[in-house]
Amino acid sequence: MIRTILVLTRNPLSLLGLILVGLVIVAAVFAPWLAPYPTHNGAVVDFLNNNRAPSAQNWMGTDLVGRDIFSRILYAYQISLTLGVVVLVIATPIGTIIGLLAGYVGGWVEAVLMRVVDVFLSIPPLVLAIAMMGVLEPTLTNAMLAVTAMWWPWYARLVYAIARSEREEGYVLAAEVIGAGTPHIAFREILPNCLPAIITKMTLDMGFVIIIASSLSFLGLGVQPPTPDLGSMVAEGARYLPDSWWLTVFPGLAILIAVFGFNLLGDGLREVLEIDG
Amino acid sequence: MIKKALFAAAFAATTALSSGSFAETVLRLDEVAVGELDPAKASDYADSILMFNVYDTLVLPNQGGPGHSGHLAESWSVDGTTYTFNLRDGVSFQSGNPLRAADVVYSLERMQALGAGLSYLFAGVTAEAVDESTVTFTLEAPYAPFIASLVRLPIVDQVHVAANSDDEWGESFLSANGAGTGAYSVTSHNPQDETVMAKWDQYFLGVADVAPDTVRLRYGLEAATVRTLIAQGEHDIASQWLPPEVVQALAKDGAQLFTETGTGAFYFKMNTTKAPLDDVNCRLALSQAFDYATAVQMIAINDDVSAGSPATGAIPVGMFGANGAEMALSQDLDAAKASLEACAYDPADMDIEISWIAEVPLEERFALLMQSNFTQLGIKSHITKLPWALFAEQVSTPENTPHISQLFVNAVTGDPDTLLYGMYHSSTPGTWQSPEYLNDVAVDAALEAGRAATDEAGREAAYAALNARLMEIAPTIYGFDRQSVFAASNRVKAPALSDPAQAFGLDGMGFSFRLMEMVE
Amino acid sequence: MDPPHSLFFFRTEPPMSPILRLLLRRLGISVIVLIGVSMLIFVIARIIPGDPARIALGPNANAEQIANLRAEMHLDDSLPVQYANFVVDVLRGDLGTSLYTNRPVTLDIAQFLPATLELVLLAGIIMVGVGLPLGILAARHRNRWPDHLVRILSLLTVSAPSFVWAVILMLLFAFYLPLFPVAGRISDVYEIERVTGFLTIDALLMADLAVFADALHHLILPAVALSLSGIGQAARLTRANMAETYEKPYIEMAQAFGFFPNRIARIWAFKPSLIPSLTIIGLDFAAMLGNAFLVEAVFAWPGLSRYGVNVILRKDLNAIMGTVLIIALTFLIVNIIVDLLIALLNPRIRHSTRGGEA
Repeated sequence: MIRTILVLTRNPLSLLGLILVGLVIVAAVFAPWLAPYPTHNGAVVDFLNNNRAPSAQNWMGTDLVGRDIFSRILYAYQISLTLGVVVLVIATPIGTIIGLLAGYVGGWVEAVLMRVVDVFLSIPPLVLAIAMMGVLEPTLTNAMLAVTAMWWPWYARLVYAIARSEREEGYVLAAEVIGAGTPHIAFREILPNCLPAIITKMTLDMGFVIIIASSLSFLGLGVQPPTPDLGSMVAEGARYLPDSWWLTVFPGLAILIAVFGFNLLGDGLREVLEIDG
Repeated sequence: MIKKALFAAAFAATTALSSGSFAETVLRLDEVAVGELDPAKASDYADSILMFNVYDTLVLPNQGGPGHSGHLAESWSVDGTTYTFNLRDGVSFQSGNPLRAADVVYSLERMQALGAGLSYLFAGVTAEAVDESTVTFTLEAPYAPFIASLVRLPIVDQVHVAANSDDEWGESFLSANGAGTGAYSVTSHNPQDETVMAKWDQYFLGVADVAPDTVRLRYGLEAATVRTLIAQGEHDIASQWLPPEVVQALAKDGAQLFTETGTGAFYFKMNTTKAPLDDVNCRLALSQAFDYATAVQMIAINDDVSAGSPATGAIPVGMFGANGAEMALSQDLDAAKASLEACAYDPADMDIEISWIAEVPLEERFALLMQSNFTQLGIKSHITKLPWALFAEQVSTPENTPHISQLFVNAVTGDPDTLLYGMYHSSTPGTWQSPEYLNDVAVDAALEAGRAATDEAGREAAYAALNARLMEIAPTIYGFDRQSVFAASNRVKAPALSDPAQAFGLDGMGFSFRLMEMVE
Repeated sequence: MDPPHSLFFFRTEPPMSPILRLLLRRLGISVIVLIGVSMLIFVIARIIPGDPARIALGPNANAEQIANLRAEMHLDDSLPVQYANFVVDVLRGDLGTSLYTNRPVTLDIAQFLPATLELVLLAGIIMVGVGLPLGILAARHRNRWPDHLVRILSLLTVSAPSFVWAVILMLLFAFYLPLFPVAGRISDVYEIERVTGFLTIDALLMADLAVFADALHHLILPAVALSLSGIGQAARLTRANMAETYEKPYIEMAQAFGFFPNRIARIWAFKPSLIPSLTIIGLDFAAMLGNAFLVEAVFAWPGLSRYGVNVILRKDLNAIMGTVLIIALTFLIVNIIVDLLIALLNPRIRHSTRGGEA
């Protein structure tokens, strides 16, 4: 682990990714201490100072009810990261188990499971999440649920492909000969060989989950106000272009920075662990 | 599958570029989707604009003053609950068919049969064609503002509908085509995209040359789009739903501001059946804690024009029973705390649901304002965004109705009865106007007295009593008296929207395109 | 291609073309997947809270009208019966009436789908037209500055959702530098006779270049916003595959023989590397159909995605099911086309008698 990180820092792009991700995590975790206006994550209104351009008092300006945009972006990172972690923590095991079963057991299990995966993959991911959020209440929990529902099939497919090729490998056959059970072979023998690919995909996916979640809230289907959320901040501000550009540009850049960080890191990790895309 | 030749007609605009002084004038405006063209289903602002231009009504409100004058009707007489109208001679529909008394009867019955839109105004009314040009209406019960309500009874061409339609009421035909006597005919209609209308030069009152030749009413444009289109000279009148900041930016760039005043108010309606708002003291606490001054400040466009003025009570200033403008409501936290003391519920247990209508972004800010005001009393709240259609569905049961709903309600006929009866009478609970579910004997009595009274003094007294009672039991936080503001390019003049002496005092009527003038 | 009768007699006929076999296999899988999709959509749509009939009829409806509409929409039947009705209706080409527009959903889709497809197709063309050359450039200059630049660019473009790119592009090129229109598909002054619904094609059918130019002018900004993340992915993938190909012995041999690098890139390295790129383009097409929801919202593009968002916000059941079904169908068709293209390009599949496992 430490060696991996050391190798990563040798590549300037990966180092940049590491730094960006570090900054975003620090911003999210320490938002209450870093934010110049820590109360502005909630229902605070200050109509005397609303819709102000960036200034020394408000580095990124204020929104339409007078809240500090910089402070709200820090808090919004909390939501984005929480959502990303929860989605991946739920989707990865589900996808992995289904992929392992389909890939190793084969037969009708493979046929049924992979057809189900195909069904999920044949609706463009965002469309599936949008359709689900359309019928669910727009809350953080439901947003996580909808994104998870569209996410697990990708892990299922990834793990399935690896498991299927490993099925014929010598060490698996050897384990079968000595009478090891299916769960043992799947989780003890094959799974470890899938882990590098899974970890890399999770790093890369962290950025994509943030993108999808912000897209949902951009369409008004995600987290509701007054909770700060990058996607809804962009959507809200887009109505006031081009005059109040700071309402959209800064939250938009905040998404870009976070996702760029995770992508650089994931890309570097992929090279270090020598995994094909 | 593909609709062929949808826009086969009207190549006017392209030829206009080359034909100099005969240039066709085009007026472009926007409203929120959907534009309902069927006049019997018309209820919101876009529908009303379509209705007032494609169809005519028996009477019109007087410009710049109270009362009504004949329009399709030449004269009328009243005998108790029977109203007799003589139709104007020589009026024809856009199809060429002459206007007949039977068309009036058909239009009323069609509206009642479909039961949509504002048909509730005509419950208990029967019509009869006495001869070709005389029609009588008989009311079940006395209804003082009946003449006023006729501005919501557009007259449909029965013969034309029958010729083009299989079903009795021609629903599908009239949802896509016009069949009226109006000054503008429908060229094309797409309910979420655009309705194109053309000036009809055989209109019975004639239409001035300066009135726009073509009108494009677009639906669902984004605020940023409207802002840029107007700045680039590609749009003429913005909808009233633009956020104030955008209107400000446009005014700064030289756009003119049209206004339409005085028939409605912005209300924060409390569900009186749901704890803790079923306790009058809790409702009073919330309404006393509301920061009225900031609310009015939020809707100001500039020093002269604002999208509203301070509320003085339940009834907008200028209507029967309203308080004077000097009695503006204001925040009183001490009174609010005292009321909260008297409330049976513990503030610590409260979680007030504040909803806002997704189509009106400004409401999100009012929600935040309320949330911060309520926090000052130690009351917790949460905000829910509801698209209009869903909101209308949720209010149909008291359990699903949010604690607080934000609504702009206006008197659809200009008369206070159509503002207040639907909101507060116990017989009309659970419509989009009445998420209060109010059930109060004194309020019902005052509303009925307002309908039955035959003279102005009687109506004034009834509505003054109603106003006092509504302040006492606080079913609603009376936010502000609403004024619609429209940013417009300088290519268009609309006296009915800029000169108080020519204003109709009826929402949407100012958008009679025949009274507008294109400059250029 | 074989004559159509082989479709019906393929068991007894001599070995049919592997391409056709592949097509049949893919079609078979697609039918199964479509059934699954329809069930999935149906389940999602029926867990909707609230009464769709009441939503449809609006605020002033009475109980009797609601009961009538519920009967008309089969809402009182059991779920399997409702699903069966839904499938039968779909097979008859009837997707029901939209509660939002009061029109048949098929009519709405016929009107809005071409606008979305036109946008997505142009975005696809931009993605391939820019992404592949960038990837080739990077591969030819492996580990030198063009490679690094392309890598940073492609990582950057995939790092923001398309609505952020849409807003940024709009701000820069429609507001600050008013080079492009901010919204819509065509200027008011033009009237187009709709034949295909693709305005650029309809303009060409009218032989009116001014209209064509105007339609294209409106398309460019949203299409670029939509294609940006795809460009990055196409470039990266092409670079990765070509870099691998460059290491192959036959390329080293060609270099040893002194062929010019340009020629090598074009003839030897390019073709095999195209195959994985095509696969990813199929996937990117799916992403773009989804992202069209975001771009159409920003540019007020009157397409199916904007319609989809509106009907979802209004809980318009028939329209939601119709829209998702059509998007899934479009996606499946594109992927079948991509698979066939791959088969045509790949000699191993083209000449195989056992049929290709794509």
